Amino acid sequence: MVRSDIIRGHLDSIILRLILEKDRYGYEISQEISLRTNNRFQIKEATLYAVFQRLEKKEIIEAYFGDVSHGGKRKYYRITPLGKAYLNELVKEWSEVKEIIDLFMEGLE
Amino acid sequence: MVGSKGNYRLIYGGLRMKKIKNHIDELFKDFPRNHETEMVKQEIIQNLEEKVFYLMDQGKEEEDAINKAIVEFGDIEDLKQELDVKEPEKRNMSRLNLEFSLWGSGLIIAFFIFINIYYTPHTIWAIYPIFAILWWPLAMYFVWSRKKWSE
Repeated sequence: MVRSDIIRGHLDSIILRLILEKDRYGYEISQEISLRTNNRFQIKEATLYAVFQRLEKKEIIEAYFGDVSHGGKRKYYRITPLGKAYLNELVKEWSEVKEIIDLFMEGLE
Repeated sequence: MVGSKGNYRLIYGGLRMKKIKNHIDELFKDFPRNHETEMVKQEIIQNLEEKVFYLMDQGKEEEDAINKAIVEFGDIEDLKQELDVKEPEKRNMSRLNLEFSLWGSGLIIAFFIFINIYYTPHTIWAIYPIFAILWWPLAMYFVWSRKKWSE
């Protein structure tokens, strides 16, 4: 398991990427993260909903109610145009960060 | 399609829902009580339910599934920060309202007493409008003390 505080700053990117692919609901996202990382990283639900709140307030994502399952309506999230632009920025930023950190980490071990 | 397993779920779903709901209520007890919090709570409960169903499909016992879902939920502090947006403090006007009502009703009462004594000193009628007017400061006192209680 990766230390979650390192990934913490990139949760926006991870979640936005998943919502960009298609509209998703909370549990689906946490499941998808575990699945794709082969359980090397698991997001805590509490953290996930905090991110939703923050992104929704900034109008980076928007929520709507979808189909009913197991006694409740699922709340789906979709990415807004602003969110897409934001994600683009995050991608650029990440490649830069990666290069910078690699400058110091590569060749070691 | 609701099979026999589905029926079982429908019957016991309420109970399970209750345990998750109680836990979430407990976690959220210090949160500001408003529509937003309520919506997030609903969403979380719904998603936890779904997780429990998923875990049960994987062969977990219901009790285990619920406990796992609850344990894995994590630390609520982040969410608290997101929801605890300090609303621009509404200034408490209830005290001012009370004072205004006291002065206002005092003046009106004095006016009635004056008219009563000056023009019809032998019939006491001012007591009736005075009684009616007293409801004003009384209501304001009620609002004020209710505010004080809720703080």
